[in-house]
Amino acid sequence: MSDNILKVENIKKSFGGVEALKGVSLEIRKGEIHCLAGENGCGKSTLIKIVSGVYEADEGSIELDGKSFSRMSPMDAIARGVQVIYQDFSVFPNLTVMENLALNMELMAERKLVSYKRIRAIASEALAKLGVDLDLEERVENLSVANRQLIAICRALLHDAKLVIMDEPTTALTKREVKALFAIIKRLQAEGISILFVSHKLDEVFEISERYTIFRNGQNVATGETSGLDRKAFVRYMTGREFSEESYRPAKQGEVVLAAKNLSLTGAFKDLSFELRAGEILGITGLLGSGRTELVQTLFGIYKPDSGEVQVRGKRVRIRGVKSAIRMGIGYVPADRLTEGLFLPQSIVRNIVVSKLDRLSGLFGVLKGKAIGAEVEKWVRELSIATNDPSLPVQTLSGGNQQKVVLARWLANDLSVLILNGPTVGVDIGSKYDIHALLRSLAERGLAIIVISDDLPEVLACTSRILVMRGGGIAEVLDPASTTEQRLGEISTGVA
Amino acid sequence: MINMRRMAKRSEPYVFGAIVLLCLLIQVQSKQFFTGNNLVDLARSMIVPALFSIGAMMVIVSGGIDVSFPAIASLAMYATDRILLNVNYSGNVMLAYAMAAGFGLAMGAVNALLIGVLRLPTLVVTLGTSSLFTGIMQGALAASESPVPPSILAHGKEKLFTATNTQLGLTSDMPSQILILLGALLLVFLLLRYTMLGRGIYAIGGDEAAARRAGFNVVGVKVFIYCFVGAMAGVTGMVRASMMMNAHPTNLLGMEMTVIAAVVLGGTRVTGGLGTLTGTMLGVALMIILSNSLILIGIPTYWTRVFTGAVIIIGTGVTAWQAGGSGRRLASSGTGL
Amino acid sequence: MKKGLVKLLALLLVLAVATPLVAQVGKSSKPSKDWKIALVPKDSTNAWFVRMEVGVKQYAKDTGLNAFQKGPAKTDAAMQAQVIQDLIAQGVDAICVVPVDPAALEPVLGEALKKGIVVVTHEASFQENTMYDIEAFNNADYGAFIMDNLAKAMGQKGLYTTMVGHVTNASHNEWADGGVAHQKATYPGMTLLAAEPRVESEDNLEKAYERAKELFKKYPNLKGIMGTSSKDAPGVARAIEEMGLKGKVFVSGTGLPNENKTFLKDGTLAAATLWDPKDAGYALCSLATKILKGEPIADGLNLKLKGYESMHFAPGSKKVLLGSGWIVIDKKNVDSFGF
Repeated sequence: MSDNILKVENIKKSFGGVEALKGVSLEIRKGEIHCLAGENGCGKSTLIKIVSGVYEADEGSIELDGKSFSRMSPMDAIARGVQVIYQDFSVFPNLTVMENLALNMELMAERKLVSYKRIRAIASEALAKLGVDLDLEERVENLSVANRQLIAICRALLHDAKLVIMDEPTTALTKREVKALFAIIKRLQAEGISILFVSHKLDEVFEISERYTIFRNGQNVATGETSGLDRKAFVRYMTGREFSEESYRPAKQGEVVLAAKNLSLTGAFKDLSFELRAGEILGITGLLGSGRTELVQTLFGIYKPDSGEVQVRGKRVRIRGVKSAIRMGIGYVPADRLTEGLFLPQSIVRNIVVSKLDRLSGLFGVLKGKAIGAEVEKWVRELSIATNDPSLPVQTLSGGNQQKVVLARWLANDLSVLILNGPTVGVDIGSKYDIHALLRSLAERGLAIIVISDDLPEVLACTSRILVMRGGGIAEVLDPASTTEQRLGEISTGVA
Repeated sequence: MINMRRMAKRSEPYVFGAIVLLCLLIQVQSKQFFTGNNLVDLARSMIVPALFSIGAMMVIVSGGIDVSFPAIASLAMYATDRILLNVNYSGNVMLAYAMAAGFGLAMGAVNALLIGVLRLPTLVVTLGTSSLFTGIMQGALAASESPVPPSILAHGKEKLFTATNTQLGLTSDMPSQILILLGALLLVFLLLRYTMLGRGIYAIGGDEAAARRAGFNVVGVKVFIYCFVGAMAGVTGMVRASMMMNAHPTNLLGMEMTVIAAVVLGGTRVTGGLGTLTGTMLGVALMIILSNSLILIGIPTYWTRVFTGAVIIIGTGVTAWQAGGSGRRLASSGTGL
Repeated sequence: MKKGLVKLLALLLVLAVATPLVAQVGKSSKPSKDWKIALVPKDSTNAWFVRMEVGVKQYAKDTGLNAFQKGPAKTDAAMQAQVIQDLIAQGVDAICVVPVDPAALEPVLGEALKKGIVVVTHEASFQENTMYDIEAFNNADYGAFIMDNLAKAMGQKGLYTTMVGHVTNASHNEWADGGVAHQKATYPGMTLLAAEPRVESEDNLEKAYERAKELFKKYPNLKGIMGTSSKDAPGVARAIEEMGLKGKVFVSGTGLPNENKTFLKDGTLAAATLWDPKDAGYALCSLATKILKGEPIADGLNLKLKGYESMHFAPGSKKVLLGSGWIVIDKKNVDSFGF
């Protein structure tokens, strides 16, 4: 018997002539937590499907728990102890907790009739494995995302799992829920179960895994002990590029372009005062409900403050709405760029110039084709948007490039203040660094930027000053160079 | 305590409440609602729509929609009737039911093939087959009203008991076909609750991909549903013919809308996954009581459609509002650990 | 182009003025063996219209002309319009229609007339776009006749109400109105139920039965129901029988012999009234042929068929032709019809 629960070698798989996997290998030892990382499209999901028997590899060998397979069915995989926790958890929202836990077992046993006594027993046993307490009669759709995931995990354990594959398990979880999930993963490990943790989130990889394997473009890039890996190397393996990790310092103290004085909005924030200078990147962080989103939406004219004032370049202003905010040079990129910011089926050109059309049109509102072309060309070049034809729909671009189009639209408006809410949510690591670099270069040219983010490493890496909000007020203002993620977390939760 | 909370989320209590209110209104207006013969009349009127609604509910729970059942019922019933008339059949009525079920099953199999195996959208398929089956009836069978064979006529006159209204001395007969409804309810209840096949219907309606991964034979379950519902429709057609003592090829057509409205009123989720027999029967009861009591309430004929429409809109609206409510709950649900 | 249009308009105007005088409109230039005469019933599955088709076939056989019946699969105004549309496209020469909803057919029948197709209707005395409308009888007279039958059964006294297929059905309502008017003039001992003077059976046996039961529960004094649709009388009769009201409550109305045989024989239904749809079908084809031949249509028209030998225009109308084609079906003659 080998020490490996899973050993795949030189796996190749093509779909219609496109090579998704160009000969990858992966070894997972018994009882280890192994992280499989890589950017979107690197072949992670394809390998999972091969290991769980859903796809058949074109070439290569699979060895599961000491047994070699040339062809493997999903049933073979399950029988050898492989269980996959899918990103959508594969639960039945309309059925009760106990049915969700027990149905798979009953199907495996080829039962024709249902015994609720047996189902209850199986379900109780499943929950007991993780010491979880859930109402067995509750419908799963009434549970939180984390609890649905727990059900998927408990269900997997019923099948004498030896290898549990978790596909991007933290995507929809809050920080607290991620912590709880990690505790569970450790517990599974203690029982001798191997975990293949698939993720592209660098912090999670460092926190949970013992060994790692990184894919890029369907090939192995690196594998080894996580303890011997640093952030820089990780990012380099993932993206194939180098990025600097220094925090940003504005070259000179700029003038105050935007200031809030004792600003209040009932139910959201109270008595807030701060200044924003040209050339700085101000990070605002805090838990959901701390009032951070409402604050910036107030500055952008979406809400009307109950009291207090806003000053633009030293003059008191009344922002009557979004249009008036834009006229004053304030731009806002919302959190969900896909649903809020872009007209996905429309061309890149139209998306960039949409908020500037009145200035790009001549007499009687006729659009000036040439002027528009020049404007768009300028931004595509400056922001290095990866497209060779700006007349294509925006939805043909990758997430990071879509984000750049949103930025271009705002920059086309000659802004002095740009507010970004969660600018890199759902963007892969390479594009994330690109966007950070872009923000810096914009700030260097004199733009004042506010970044709202949950992603603490991002806040530390790309801002020059951090404002931590808690319960509708400013808890503290910090210098990113002299603080840590932990400190930020403590301040926002009020633990400190 | 927990059960009370869960009950409040279900729609059955609301439909039941609406029925109670409606009954009280009718009673106040006519003094005739809670009389033996009126209740028997209502039960009788419920038989055919209730039988249809059982099948419609199963289909909707599985995530589909079926509008072809009246056409299947009509053609199955009519073909059976004509064949039996042609051979001068005078034997047991069970053969008539078995034949109608067989024809229904065959037509259901057409739906099953197109929906289960070829994966075409259910609404499009059943609209198409509905038209097809009606067309066969018109074209190939040149259908027109026709009498029923003697054994079915006798079956139509059978009664379980006669209820008498003591006030007015009116009598109403409970037809024996109600036993078929009760039998179907019991059968489907056991099927849905105590067989893996039944749970598979719910599972597919909840998440088809998850059902496939869990090991349900999704195609098999769908084929079963449409065949079963087809057979049930065939039996229902024969029930109608025997109760009316006449085989009318078109008077079931158009019933699909009332039946589906009743199923949705009863809390069956339009997108699939949720639905109970209790709720469905309550929904049918509400629709039937309503449509058979407008004269008792004293609503003039000219206003009956307005009244019925309003009740359907309010009823389904409340159901939809509740569904929206559960969606909102979901979005704001906090951490669970 | 324009000149042609003016000429055409002038011609149409002349024709329109001339119509009532010479009745030459619709004369076909084709030889009679090429004529296609179509009859569109309300519902091709209904026994009533199946019987009508017998008349159409009889006419085709008697004359050697190409006359046929083609109807919608169920009683549905939109489907009926579609059938007529198809017939126009096929280039028929004459269309005889029994409209489901006369108003809904106006556009399509207008189109047929514009194309020079002969259009005649039955049971649609207010139809605009038709050359002639044949009624087997005067609607008010037929209603009065049904009322006579009901009054006879009720002993000329007591509370009654009327039942129609749909409150939008023209003929049914004219019969019912005629019956009520006749009652007011002739049977002072009878009263119309004021709270529900007209109920709907939706042309459905089951519904007629259900509505009757409701009426008997709500209005214990109700002694009679005057039916109009052919489903009314048998449906109500079933309710009377089941509720034990035989001999206490009475019904009369249009009805087919076969459907009412049992109730007529056991006395639940005193008499059903009827006109033979076979004759109506025959008469419609015969009228269409006369128009195609260019024969004058005038008062006293003879379609060479019993009940239709001397047809008269309804008072004040130049379109509606009335016959006297009703018959009574009772215990004695019910077996003699064969339908």
